Amino acid sequence: MIGAIREFADRLLGRGDATIAVPSFDGALKPNQKLEEAEILLECAAPEDLATDGRAIYLANGPRLLRLQGGAATELRAFDQPISALASLPGGGLAVALGGREVHVFPEPSAAKPRTIFAAGLSALNALAPAPNGTLIATDGSLTRGVDEWAWDIMERGHSGRVLMLDPASGSSKALATGLGYAFGCCATADGALVSESWRHRLIAVRRDASTSIALPHLPVYPSRLSPASPGGYWLTAFIARSLLVEFVLREPAFRKRMMAEIEPRYWIAPRLRSGDSFKEPMQGAHIKTMGVVKPWAPPRSYGLVIRLGADGAPLYSLHSRVDGVNHGIVSAIELNGDLIMVAKGPGRILKLPIAPLDKEFGT
Amino acid sequence: MSDDILLSLHGATKLYAGVPAIDGVDFDLRRGEIHALVGENGAGKSTLTKVMAGVVNLTAGTMTIDGVAVSPKSPLEARHLGIAMVFQENSLVPTMTVAQNLFLGQEHFYNRLRGIYIAAQQFLQSLNFDVVPTATVGALGAAKKQMVEIARAVLHNAKVIIFDEPTASLTPEEKKYFFDLVRDLKKRGVSIVFISHALEEALLLADRITVLRDARKVVTDDASTFDRARIVQAMVGRDLSHTLYGVRKTTVRTAGARVLTAQNLKMAPMVRNNSLSVFAGQITGVFGLVGAGRTETFKIVAGVLKRDFFYGGEVFLHDKPVRFRVPAPAVRAGVAYVTEDRKVEGFFETASIARNIYLGLTAKFPSGRALLSRREANKVGREWIKKLNIRAIGDEARVVELSGGNQQKVVIAKSLAQEPDLIIFDEPTRGVDVGAIVEIHELINRLADEGKAVVVISSYLPEIMALSDRILVSRQGKVVEELSALEATEEKIMYAAIH
Repeated sequence: MIGAIREFADRLLGRGDATIAVPSFDGALKPNQKLEEAEILLECAAPEDLATDGRAIYLANGPRLLRLQGGAATELRAFDQPISALASLPGGGLAVALGGREVHVFPEPSAAKPRTIFAAGLSALNALAPAPNGTLIATDGSLTRGVDEWAWDIMERGHSGRVLMLDPASGSSKALATGLGYAFGCCATADGALVSESWRHRLIAVRRDASTSIALPHLPVYPSRLSPASPGGYWLTAFIARSLLVEFVLREPAFRKRMMAEIEPRYWIAPRLRSGDSFKEPMQGAHIKTMGVVKPWAPPRSYGLVIRLGADGAPLYSLHSRVDGVNHGIVSAIELNGDLIMVAKGPGRILKLPIAPLDKEFGT
Repeated sequence: MSDDILLSLHGATKLYAGVPAIDGVDFDLRRGEIHALVGENGAGKSTLTKVMAGVVNLTAGTMTIDGVAVSPKSPLEARHLGIAMVFQENSLVPTMTVAQNLFLGQEHFYNRLRGIYIAAQQFLQSLNFDVVPTATVGALGAAKKQMVEIARAVLHNAKVIIFDEPTASLTPEEKKYFFDLVRDLKKRGVSIVFISHALEEALLLADRITVLRDARKVVTDDASTFDRARIVQAMVGRDLSHTLYGVRKTTVRTAGARVLTAQNLKMAPMVRNNSLSVFAGQITGVFGLVGAGRTETFKIVAGVLKRDFFYGGEVFLHDKPVRFRVPAPAVRAGVAYVTEDRKVEGFFETASIARNIYLGLTAKFPSGRALLSRREANKVGREWIKKLNIRAIGDEARVVELSGGNQQKVVIAKSLAQEPDLIIFDEPTRGVDVGAIVEIHELINRLADEGKAVVVISSYLPEIMALSDRILVSRQGKVVEELSALEATEEKIMYAAIH
């Protein structure tokens, strides 16, 4: 009862959860156009995730597993389901998540048969990361929606995401954290993992004893996959930036319900991996354009962002593709031989940026 | 003596408790000239002008007007001699109308308000002053109040008008208007003496400049023979131009943890959806023209002002939501706001330095604490007087007796005694002499080096560029641009502030 009164008061006064406010892109998150300046390594239909063994890049492109080396892409194999996550294992193996519902652990990338398969109870497995003890850390975005239905999950304000520890040796799995607002991305740390919680716009530290703490709150983005950076720290991708319009819609259940029932999903007032293709999209005209040109600072429906985090999890600098850019929907970034390789899922591109000039420019 | 000289002082000396405020100063003012008096706070500028205006009397030396020795014993006597002074804090009666203020002290036995208004209207129009004579003075802006002060001086047939820091509270537009007024007065044959810490103004406006230092005159010369470096050199006796604003920043501090986040902060009509972050171990400079909402934004953060009640946005301190409705909880949470208006909001001017600093500290005490300790106050006071090098006759000196720079240090000490994590300096060097500016800048830099999150709000671009590691430019109630100090130029900042 008291909760209901408080919620009513909050909605009336615009405070608490009813505050429609978005943090600004400032400090280390100050916008630039670095992702637009990136070299395009490859254009493909459905890029999803990257992994590296230190020599080559493995790319999940729909159901196909590609190997990128020296600028050339070769297909290693094709699965019967789209690949939803990839991870290279320390011994040369490769873990592949299929359709968000299975994880196949191969002893080597070209092996014909998997060593271990995890299939029980997975729903939207979207990221894998090797842990130092030989296990795998995995994030399962939602128990109620599949891996491709993340837009439904956010509009339903889903909070059934999980962090799992998968043990390929024994075939067992264990939930380290549950009830997350779409867990999407993880990276092993000394005592557990750093995990992206997309719908709550934060990174959380999940420890092996299943305790959690907030590592980086109040991000102006929906964070996604993480990967380690050298000499320390992490690369955090964000597949979309927050906007006041979406925040508003997320606080209007009746509107959302009707929108989801009556409007085609690609025209919802919801984050997208790419936008600007149709006049039916919710934001038009002067919302996003001035004198016919898209404003870089317009309210984002799609956006591209990679954040370099320090070893303590604090942002050091960021790489952007703003509203007027193309390389939106960055879902994976990985470091190889001094270059940062990224997946821009919106336009279907694999991008490359040399890291040394970035470190120099941003003074890290 | 030349016929050209209207007013002169020879060997002017004024002692306070045996300490000279001015010591053997020779000064002359020509007819129809604009004469700037510059010097560090405590150099003796105000005392010199107060002698001319009859506010204080000389201990030794002579003063002549038109070659006749005079010794005005009161401002009224000085006014009869044709000398009027416009003080830094204006001397108008705020509850009376402009016209009533103009004729204050000249009332007849029977006064018709209508007659006064008509006379005031005609007089103000003759000066080309756009001030409504029926307006209540309290409702006027700083510039218009100054116009009324000037009009009153001219009405009293002043041959000499003395301005003490006339532009300190004026916006850039108002300053320009004020300069035009002063030039117009000069054309009318009025001689002007003005005190200013803004050296550019002295160089721009004055015909001659006199520099005072440590109660003595250092030099008087034509303004055309001065540049900023020469004035500064004369003022402080050392070359400060390279340490203050002359050298461009080549490195900036790396941002630490995020200390403050403001999201969509609103306080109509001044703050409009303002969002910004402040990081530890960095100086965040906030620049903007008057009305950009800078001060109001940070006053909301510090609990001095309240955000809009409905949908007013959010403030996070160390990533935790906070909403301070009064300053005391903000102080306890580690937020210190050093006001831009020290005389009104900064201190109790008749209380001692130690008391003022201790009062700042008491804001941090739990509300249950009822007893305060004089011994503790003196201890805290002594500690901060030493730390910030506050120059006063003694620990028990009243703040009103201090120079502007030392008053500002008291205000800063009052805030630093609270041991804040986030310190907001609002115009930290306004009305402060060059020497004190250097000390205050060093202090601000030291705080950032110690890992504190420091915000400096300033309307003075060189100061913003000299101090800041990152610069936020505010316009129409929100931050519109962020620049690293390494990439910032005056042009870029001003462009963002205007366009």
